[in-house]
Amino acid sequence: MRAREEGKGMTIDNAPVTGDASTRRLGRIGDLFVRWSFLVPSIVLLVALLAYPIFYTIDISFSHFDIASFGADEWVGFENYREVMGDYRFWDSLKVTLIYLVVALPLQVVLGFGIAFLINAEWRGRGMIRALFIIPMVVAPVVAGGMWRMILDPLWGVMNYWLGFLGIGPLDWFGDPNLAMAAVIIIDTWRWTPFIVLIATAALLALPKDVFEAARIDGANWWSTLWSVAIPLLMPVIAATFVIRWLGAVKMFDIVLAATYGGPGKATNVVNLFIYEEAFRSLRFAESAAMAVIVLILTMVLTGLFLRGSRKLEDMF
Amino acid sequence: MKRKNIGKMTRRRDLLAGMAGSLVMAAMPLVSAQAQEGLGTSDNPTEIRIIANEAFANTWQTLLVPEFNKAFPNVRVVFDGVPYTELLAKMMLDSTSPDPEYDVLLVDDPWVPQLAEIGALMDLKGDKVAALTEEGYDWDDFNAAPLAAGEWNGVQYAVPVRSNMLLRFYNRTLYKEAGLPEPTPAQTWNEFFADAGKLVRDSSGDGKDDRWAIDTYFVRESLTPTIWQSILNANGGSLLDDAGAPAFANDTGVASLEIHKRLLDYAPPGALGHGFSESLQAFRQGLVANMFNWGSVYKSTAVDPKSTTLTVDEVGIQVLPVGSAQAGTHRGIWIAGISSKTKKLEASWAFLQWLTSKQGESVNASLVGSFPARKSTLNGEPAEPWLGPVYETLQQAYEVAAKGKMWRIRSPKSDAAQQILADEVARGLAGQVSAKEALDTAATKIEKALK
Repeated sequence: MRAREEGKGMTIDNAPVTGDASTRRLGRIGDLFVRWSFLVPSIVLLVALLAYPIFYTIDISFSHFDIASFGADEWVGFENYREVMGDYRFWDSLKVTLIYLVVALPLQVVLGFGIAFLINAEWRGRGMIRALFIIPMVVAPVVAGGMWRMILDPLWGVMNYWLGFLGIGPLDWFGDPNLAMAAVIIIDTWRWTPFIVLIATAALLALPKDVFEAARIDGANWWSTLWSVAIPLLMPVIAATFVIRWLGAVKMFDIVLAATYGGPGKATNVVNLFIYEEAFRSLRFAESAAMAVIVLILTMVLTGLFLRGSRKLEDMF
Repeated sequence: MKRKNIGKMTRRRDLLAGMAGSLVMAAMPLVSAQAQEGLGTSDNPTEIRIIANEAFANTWQTLLVPEFNKAFPNVRVVFDGVPYTELLAKMMLDSTSPDPEYDVLLVDDPWVPQLAEIGALMDLKGDKVAALTEEGYDWDDFNAAPLAAGEWNGVQYAVPVRSNMLLRFYNRTLYKEAGLPEPTPAQTWNEFFADAGKLVRDSSGDGKDDRWAIDTYFVRESLTPTIWQSILNANGGSLLDDAGAPAFANDTGVASLEIHKRLLDYAPPGALGHGFSESLQAFRQGLVANMFNWGSVYKSTAVDPKSTTLTVDEVGIQVLPVGSAQAGTHRGIWIAGISSKTKKLEASWAFLQWLTSKQGESVNASLVGSFPARKSTLNGEPAEPWLGPVYETLQQAYEVAAKGKMWRIRSPKSDAAQQILADEVARGLAGQVSAKEALDTAATKIEKALK
């Protein structure tokens, strides 16, 4: 009864309300239209540039790749995956990648934060040095690899010449498997440590000064301040930097291609180089796609674990 | 879930589209004539596009095309250089598109089967091309080994335009300084190693060796196995048997890989990372007495003062040392074919005919340093005096290669097989596995890859 009265009221007294509702509806539609008009180009771009290549790669990985039509041909299920899993070269390349990551990542993070801590003090020319730090990052990886190949070359390079003054060497940088891996790590560290230094410097500048002042008043020395104050405060940033750097390092390819070609033997044959060679030199696109998918899954799983770990660290500190 | 039907439908659709296109073309002869373009006119020149290795594409564009245009002024030739490692994949991608960009494909020695298999190349002895071939174009004048590089399953898909053979370069001055006689093409591997020990020496007297006996390919890359293979062939071995199965994982193969590895004992420090450029650099600087490299580098190694410290008098050239069967070499011919889908057949073939004619070969050799494949060019008066001994060696190398079948695997899967060899030979050379294990693994993998 009340509803009817209200209904009546609505029809008579609230005539303009209907207009408001339709206006609101129109407004909502307009709002939605505007939102989607902003979103659609991004979605289209993402689908075209990101999702399509990924799904195409997955599609190829489950197919026979027909060279004549240069496309996926016949569905073969997990055959390409079985083929890849049975290839010792794939496992070797994963192992090589793991060795590189296990050494290079902690080294770069420790060096990056260490350098940032050391240059954090106020001194003339600090801005200039920070600017210079950007240079290695903007050098193309292939150029960096080629340049370092010249520096480390046992016959023509200057590195052995300098090391000779210290009574070291001559070292066969590209002939010894361990030194070749060391060379790749040195080049990568030269390129990416400055990036970590820049992040760490910004993080250090953002730390609350009063905590450090309190530590100083309490008589904490340089080491105690670093260990008990700075590092715990920086831990979330360190963890986040590690994840960012991990995502970059796992793609290692071009430096190796330019510096060692994956050798000597297979000592620096990282998985991305192996995938590239199988695809574009051996023209085994389907098997390469299967390897790429496996690497993608491994990367996603490990990235997920690292992100979880970094969140835990954030909670702890 | 078979997709072959879809492929068939697409092909049928393409065929129908092609037929429809042909009808339209037939109905409009003027338009058709324009599309074919022939050899062009001064008002309407014909343009042909060539995909080639970037290592020499630019030089050919600058030096060879103007010479060609003296004879064919209305044909514009455009070279697109692509890095060697991406060249085959890019060619295949282009060739499989409905309307390929390139009219002429400059391909490396082992690629013809792969390109022929996808129908990318035209039969150069077929009716269409034969109708456009000049009467004086003598196919029989080509040496068998380089011409065979362009053939697959009895069809001639390409012609040799830059004939290259793996040869031994030696530095006469360093042999003299070491008190050794100049090597001859009859030198055996044992004799080579007997000299090698004396060629490694300290020339400056500072107590450190600064001259070495040899530099060549040792790095992990697809051309490194060609050194091992030339030793294998010289020892009477072969990559595949008559049935097409791997035949190198035996005592001959192992002994040949051991010889390749032994070269490292007499090579400069870091030689395990050396390939084409590094060995060339070391030889040009007079640091090594021998280099096994491609013959086409002779001009830049011995003639051109901008790129070398050596002179023609100092640099000797010959085939690789003699094994238990014969001397060694390896074929590395760049051959050119015409895209099966080109609309500019006449202009494309005009360019290739000119380039592979006696006159074109001569221009190519004197201006760019490319080697000829024709017997008449090799036996005739060379355009430059330094070419004389080089041509003599080249002729010998062609004969040695033809006799010992010294080339890479001929198969649509040859690149996969070569990459496997590169991986395993590299492991063997680096000492990560024994020569036997490396070759056994390579044989198993190649057998699977070639299926």
